[in-house]
Amino acid sequence: MGGVYAVISIGLTLVYGVMGIVNFAQAEFLMIGMFVSWFAWAYLGLDPVLAAPLSFAVAFGIGWLVQGQLIARVLKAPSVAQIFLTVGLLIVIENGSLLLFGSQFRSVTTSYQIMSLSLGALFISVPYLIAFGMSLACGLALWWFMRTSWFGRAMRATAQNPMAAQLMGIDTALMYKIAFALGVGLTAFGGAVILPYVTVFPGVGGQFVVLMFTVVVLGGLGSVAGAVVGGLAVGVIQALSSLFFPIQLQNLILFIVFIFVLAVRPQGLVGASR
Amino acid sequence: MKRWIAILAVIAIAAVLPLLLSPTGYWIRVLTFTLLFAAMAQVWNIIGGLANQTSLGHAAFFGIGAYTSTILVLKFGISPWIGMFAGGFLGGVAALIIAVPTMRLQGHYFALATLAFGEVMRVIANVWTSLTGGPVGLSVPFVPPSIAAYSFKQLLPHAYIALIALIIVTVIFEAIRRSAMGYRLRAIKENPAAAEVIGIDTTKVKLQTAVISGVLMAMLGTLYAQVAVFFDPDTVFSAASISIRVALIAILGGVGTAIGPILGALFIIPVEELMNDLFSSGAAGLSQLIFGVILIAVILWRPRGFITVFDSLMARFSSKARS
Repeated sequence: MGGVYAVISIGLTLVYGVMGIVNFAQAEFLMIGMFVSWFAWAYLGLDPVLAAPLSFAVAFGIGWLVQGQLIARVLKAPSVAQIFLTVGLLIVIENGSLLLFGSQFRSVTTSYQIMSLSLGALFISVPYLIAFGMSLACGLALWWFMRTSWFGRAMRATAQNPMAAQLMGIDTALMYKIAFALGVGLTAFGGAVILPYVTVFPGVGGQFVVLMFTVVVLGGLGSVAGAVVGGLAVGVIQALSSLFFPIQLQNLILFIVFIFVLAVRPQGLVGASR
Repeated sequence: MKRWIAILAVIAIAAVLPLLLSPTGYWIRVLTFTLLFAAMAQVWNIIGGLANQTSLGHAAFFGIGAYTSTILVLKFGISPWIGMFAGGFLGGVAALIIAVPTMRLQGHYFALATLAFGEVMRVIANVWTSLTGGPVGLSVPFVPPSIAAYSFKQLLPHAYIALIALIIVTVIFEAIRRSAMGYRLRAIKENPAAAEVIGIDTTKVKLQTAVISGVLMAMLGTLYAQVAVFFDPDTVFSAASISIRVALIAILGGVGTAIGPILGALFIIPVEELMNDLFSSGAAGLSQLIFGVILIAVILWRPRGFITVFDSLMARFSSKARS
């Protein structure tokens, strides 16, 4: 699970890292990604994992519009306005999907759903393994994009100093659009790859929101490498706490870790890269 | 002088209004909740507005207040009036517990930490079944109506109690804003480093506001429990319908001003009720969807709250008067 947590959270950290905005609606894009993938499976017969790029594309498009039309207007507003704009988005997306898709739970059936590989004493379920592999590939692709492409460099420049970036001829408004669209796209991608073992319904984002924030805060808001470390750490924390505590308390443990990390090391375990 | 007349006039209207509404009707309920949420938003405003710390976890204190007084009635038959102060005390303790580690955080970080704290309380209330009744919730027991037992046949007294609560917290808010503490908070808000240099103990001042806000919020939780009669962990510890909503009311109205939360509540609560009323027969989620759209629209239109509408109107009038 850790690898998947990393991918859905990288999107959140990317948005914060480049724009300084915490997107409270991020988990809703996970839900959008899951729905896109579900419909692709139900009507086109696509495997949910193969539909992941489609989920990415749809969320990318929505993110592009949301950034250009809504968030761009509050970038210079006080942080409360930013917080509540994304909270408003959360309400709109969640209830919009409730209207469109209804409240029933949907899941997919795949040929590999109940398969597992045995590695000595360890059993690894195949859908988890596929999700992990896809997440890894996606994370590497992002890393490569940010490191080597002109866009990646321009985006990092914008994150460090928007004014200087603009003076260098970088269209910062465009960079913000790309960053936001890319961020929510990645989260939607993560949503698609977990579909084989998570059922989708309009409130599914709520189940992941804490988790995403814990991952990001553990790794340090804005740090992509941190999100990967944080994702793995949360995966381990969850696995361990399930050994010692009843299922209802699992989230509680995450919350407490979350507050503790915020209080002690707000810059994250990995340390601030910026 | 003119100000005082205006304030008294508003209070007089507010005092008469409940009498005009049907005592068993729907609108008196809306009014009671509007007043209650205005008071809650005002309490939030003490920390969110004056100390500039956007808390998204005030449901934690609210729920503590609701549970404390109700559990005291259920288990020991103690009047909610006393339970209210017990809840206030526990709310203050909780505020201290969360504020000590998080007060140095700012902006988004503080919002996230407090959001998580509210959720911690919700999970605990759901799990600690022997004390809280768990997810099933608690019912305030029925006792013969009397002021001492805080039990009434009608909503009218509840509306007045909510109004009095609103006046009290607004006075407290103004008193803090104008006190030396208010000036210290403003200095911290403008420039934390400079405030520290001139000898303000920034952590201590922020802690004080957090505790005051926590105590008052818990006491309002008791008022809510008495009006609602039934509640469960997911309602009183709700991030969306308590924590975020009270912050939203204050923000839409105008953060850091005494009138802001009142304007915000007068707008949001009736609009929400209207939405629920109009669209409850329609598809699920429609009323919430429209609420979200209105929220986004208002934030884009007035990022600093409704109060700015009045300010610009005032400016227009005074410039006309001059010319």
